Amino acid sequence: MKSRGTVENLQSWLPKVKHSSLSGWSVFWVLLLLPAFVWAQDAATQAMSVEYRDIPWIGSRNLVWIVAQQHLLLAGFVLGVPIFAWICEIVGWRSKEPRYDKLAKEFTKLLTSAYATTALFGGILLFLLIGLYPKLMAYLSDVFFPSFIAYCILFLLETATLYIYWYGWDALQGNKKGLHIFLGFLLNLFALGIMIVPNSWATFQASPVVLGDGTAIERAWTAMQNPTWWPVNIHRLIANVVLGGFICGAYAGVRYLLAQTKEEKDHYDWMGYVGNFIGVFGMLPLPFAGYWLMREVYQYNQQMGITLMGGFLAWLFILQAMLIGVLFLGANYYFWMGIAYRIPGSAQSYKRPILAMLVVLMVCLGVWMTPHSLVASLAEAQLMGGTHHPLLGVFGVMSAKMTVSNLMILVTFMSFIMYWRAGKQETAAWAKVAKAVMGALLAIGGIAVVVLGVWGYFVPAIIRINYFSVAQVLIVLFIMVTFTPLTALLMKSAKTTTEMVWGQMPIRAGYALVLNAVMVILLMSLMGYARSSSRVHWHIYGVMRDTSEYAYSPALGYAAAFMSLNTFLFCLLVSFIFWVATMGDKVKKGPEQGQAAEDPTKISGGVTPAMAGGAPRVGEETLKI
Amino acid sequence: MSEVALLQLIGLIVVGLGVFILLFIKGKFLRVVGFVIIVLGGFSLIALSVPQMASLPPAIETFDITKVKTADDLASIGQKIFFSKGQCALCHSIGPSESSRCPDLNGIGAKLAPEFIYESLTQPQAYIYLDFRHGGVPEEYPARMPYINKNPIALSEQEIYSVIAFLQKMSGEPISIKVEDVLRESGGGEMKVASVAVHGTSSTND
Repeated sequence: MKSRGTVENLQSWLPKVKHSSLSGWSVFWVLLLLPAFVWAQDAATQAMSVEYRDIPWIGSRNLVWIVAQQHLLLAGFVLGVPIFAWICEIVGWRSKEPRYDKLAKEFTKLLTSAYATTALFGGILLFLLIGLYPKLMAYLSDVFFPSFIAYCILFLLETATLYIYWYGWDALQGNKKGLHIFLGFLLNLFALGIMIVPNSWATFQASPVVLGDGTAIERAWTAMQNPTWWPVNIHRLIANVVLGGFICGAYAGVRYLLAQTKEEKDHYDWMGYVGNFIGVFGMLPLPFAGYWLMREVYQYNQQMGITLMGGFLAWLFILQAMLIGVLFLGANYYFWMGIAYRIPGSAQSYKRPILAMLVVLMVCLGVWMTPHSLVASLAEAQLMGGTHHPLLGVFGVMSAKMTVSNLMILVTFMSFIMYWRAGKQETAAWAKVAKAVMGALLAIGGIAVVVLGVWGYFVPAIIRINYFSVAQVLIVLFIMVTFTPLTALLMKSAKTTTEMVWGQMPIRAGYALVLNAVMVILLMSLMGYARSSSRVHWHIYGVMRDTSEYAYSPALGYAAAFMSLNTFLFCLLVSFIFWVATMGDKVKKGPEQGQAAEDPTKISGGVTPAMAGGAPRVGEETLKI
Repeated sequence: MSEVALLQLIGLIVVGLGVFILLFIKGKFLRVVGFVIIVLGGFSLIALSVPQMASLPPAIETFDITKVKTADDLASIGQKIFFSKGQCALCHSIGPSESSRCPDLNGIGAKLAPEFIYESLTQPQAYIYLDFRHGGVPEEYPARMPYINKNPIALSEQEIYSVIAFLQKMSGEPISIKVEDVLRESGGGEMKVASVAVHGTSSTND
């Protein structure tokens, strides 16, 4: 129809040019180009009706999966690192310890090199989505276009700020440091914006709201404020810090393994410690944020919640438990190794608590990994008296899992406190009272978490979810927020009995740091698959159905193989980026390294001894270790 | 060889390669790579050992409107539209719900005339609708009612009538929508409605 209209239009136009001097040529060219013009119109009409395009061999979905995962992981790193780089810089500024400033700069160096690659993968992802999912992208563009503009502006601001922040590092020292810190604040502010705007697009797909009439901005804003937007924002913000911390830890771990000199070993041992500390620090509240997200998912659509927790994705959470369990074990193991190797003589005195903690962690992991229903033959089921094992079946429910996850967080937190206190003797007059109070709080808190967990079996689910689980979380948080300042106060005046030694960690410490990073990357990949699969056969849940040949969610084994591939590719990519970023270091190794080697040995002023990894001796300004 | 068996074989080869690197290669970085691929291969093998369930999409149901004989048939189609293409259940609940963002539609077919329901669906801003279910000043609902007969939902006339028939039936009311009227509106033809089952089906993938 359109092409016929075009021909008619051209015919009506022809007599007008008859009188011009170029009329003959014009008619000739028009007639010559007419078929191409008409075909182009047809092609355009056809292109508008294309819903999907495919890529041979690998498939469009798999390709998008790989690229999106790489982009997301890189973005997580790029958005997480500025948070703690900035905090490190502030710590260095306030404490006047140059090693923190150096560390912050080293983190930022990794950030700048990863930033361009993140943007590159973002661009590739965008082109792939437009080309392979034109109908979905047209719908999303229609809804979210104003937010696209906002995103572009934020991206420009973020890039400009990052350039000034990085290249102005040395220039903005001394009395201009405040300005540099402010730039770091802006960097994080824009990074937050860059994260939450695309989050709204993804969360709208999972939990869309109905859009009424209104301006484009009103519609976009309504769509952005969907029920899972903020739970995902908070969860990702914390997870990015965890990812960034553990990746920096892994970087330090590998550099520690490759270190040729004592100075290098000292520096990367310390950096690995800080990376692990940041990862653990973020990891402790992460399950609470995840719990909030799942609650919102259930509230939004119970069916979606059931698909996740009790449907075909139920076994995914057993894998998640395994990964989180290994991560907790890895992080604790690293702390325990720190006590044994960095604080000589401490291994013996902490042997029993470490063993007790290990047993608690292993038991908790066992409970967390116990599935609700077992795959059993008919004969086995008859022997068990059903699909639920009479004893193990008790551990398969949420009440047990909430309890053990809280206990694991508590144990990890206590590992950190133990590390903090190792090799020091409290001198404060109120130390005994404080320690007694902390001991009592820990015992009561631990018992209360278990009691609430057991009680949870005997109350309706809604009571358990709304009150008991929340109470368990609050108890653990209360212990964390009381213990941290109390220990900080105790350590401020504590006497160091054993000097801390850096660079003495065994080789397996480097591997433990790498393992932690791999676990976090796998976890992010796994939960990305869970979030995407919870939409089942919808591009936008309940609004736009996936009618492509890839509308199904693959089984866990296939998905896990893909996650492993993605994790491996990401590790290679990050290794390459870091290798490129540190190539220049070899050239200026001499003076830089000399400085770096000297710095970790200086611990002064008692500021943030936890991050520094030790406390000063009373009356000593500088401590050689 | 099944897909799972093939992936298990690949997983074993990957783990074997990692073990080989750790046993025979001295390069420190390569040894870290070997360690990482053992972890990744091990993870894949564990994931392949749990029940393998894929989530398959439900079939798209097609209703031939000319085959609708009774008002109950119409209400049955309306129910499916309510929970799928119409997106009504995204905001409305049938019965009290903490999470619903718009009025509870329980018994709405008995409370409102079909003409009023039709007008509410096609001209949602014609009347002020506020939430009076609490003390104090009435508030606007968090979500605004969209035009159901316009994009993106864009229900046809006969689909809207089917939903009204469902709302009446669900409220215990006699269905006042006449099948003949709906047929006349459509002139015969097909309505495509995605299945009501939003959770999909699962199948073992072994």
